Amino acid sequence: MRTTPRSIHQTSNGLEDHEGLFSRVLTKLNSLWVVATYPFASAGCNLSLHYASEISRSRATRIQLGNHVEIGKHTWLHLGMEGEHALKITIEDDCRIAARCTITAKNSIHLEREVVLAPDVLIMDHAHAYQDLSRPIKTQGSTAGGRILIREGCRIGHGAAILCDKGELILGRNCVVAPGTVVTRSFPPDSVLSGNPARAVQKLGMRHASAEQESLRRTEVELAKRGG
Amino acid sequence: MEETCSDRNTGPFRYPRHVTREDPLKWFSRAAGKLRTLWLAWTYPFASFGKGVWTHYSCHVARSAAPYISIGERVGLARDAQLDVCAAPGTNAPVLILENGSSVQRRGVISARNRIHVMPNVIFGPSVLVMDYGPDAEERADPSCGQQETRGGTIRIEEECWIGFGAVIVCERGELVIGKHSVVGANSVVTRSIPPYSVVAGDPARIVKQYDFSKGKWVLGCIRLAVGSERQDPAPRPTLLGAKP
Repeated sequence: MRTTPRSIHQTSNGLEDHEGLFSRVLTKLNSLWVVATYPFASAGCNLSLHYASEISRSRATRIQLGNHVEIGKHTWLHLGMEGEHALKITIEDDCRIAARCTITAKNSIHLEREVVLAPDVLIMDHAHAYQDLSRPIKTQGSTAGGRILIREGCRIGHGAAILCDKGELILGRNCVVAPGTVVTRSFPPDSVLSGNPARAVQKLGMRHASAEQESLRRTEVELAKRGG
Repeated sequence: MEETCSDRNTGPFRYPRHVTREDPLKWFSRAAGKLRTLWLAWTYPFASFGKGVWTHYSCHVARSAAPYISIGERVGLARDAQLDVCAAPGTNAPVLILENGSSVQRRGVISARNRIHVMPNVIFGPSVLVMDYGPDAEERADPSCGQQETRGGTIRIEEECWIGFGAVIVCERGELVIGKHSVVGANSVVTRSIPPYSVVAGDPARIVKQYDFSKGKWVLGCIRLAVGSERQDPAPRPTLLGAKP
């Protein structure tokens, strides 16, 4: 008999809800099936691939998955068939990709260790070509595209889009991308990104220093006004 | 989804053909999608339903909304795409028109109350929202049915447009036209009309690029035309709602 109310996080002591258990079993089975039958470039141990995630088997030779990678519901890893036979999507150890993410690679998308993607994130290293007016955009195919490298420990917020039309896009270590941000260029480590297009709004661990600078600047402005 | 058996790896080591073919578990969802398409075509009273339509089994279309929806040829409704007709209008004309080759991608929502017209060969990205009415404070205060039907605006998305991932196109009143061959960037919020041959991005969406017919190339920023100047634009330019004269 339970006497104290338990929070929903304390489920490890009790049984899961049956429905949740069912989907977990399916996910486990799907992970085993995918690892056993898909020709990945390499696949680590302890993968968790949701049963409704979409990975194409014929293109799995260009995907590398590390250990303990988690891929959520309806997440879609899509690869272009153009170009040389080379790695296109690399997901290193302990990455967590939540539900409904889309990763579309033509050249190379590399997620380093412990990158966390929230739901609904889009990562795309190419775009539709639209420059030719005489043909519909639909028939113009994609641009040459670039390469995307997301360094370890980055966190990408819900609904963010990381797009690289050309060149190389590198998000430094431990960047935090706010929900709904559109990232179109590289950023140094420890930045907090926000906006459309993205700007670095803050530096992680530098909050105090930047506040100090801001107050200094304000004082200077104040002094200048008084002097004027 | 679109791979064929010829999509095999061409590296130094070749996997056996049966391994690089499509996963047999995916056949179930494809079969379910096929059945869903047939079911929609046979039993739903669509205003029109073209040839070569494909749907994912999880797309949302209400049977009661079907008479107001017109679907052209080779239109697709991907996973969790939603076609919604919010309030049944008085007339019998379809209010949600998807013309040939304009597919709604994953999680795309098109919600029509007055009229949303998507012309041929429009590309939608995933998670797009197109809505021709908005949360109107007045309307919430006075929810009388007769009033509701006249609220909101109309949306027309012209040929060959590309609506990027997560874009939101909302028209609360008047007419919103997205001109021919325009590009709407990812996560943009469009609330005004866009002239043809332009690229918009941001929240609210602004023109970042436009095709300059006098120079014959794409130029950054919005082209400001002198009053009365001749346009060599092959398509007639729709009126720019909200633009300053």
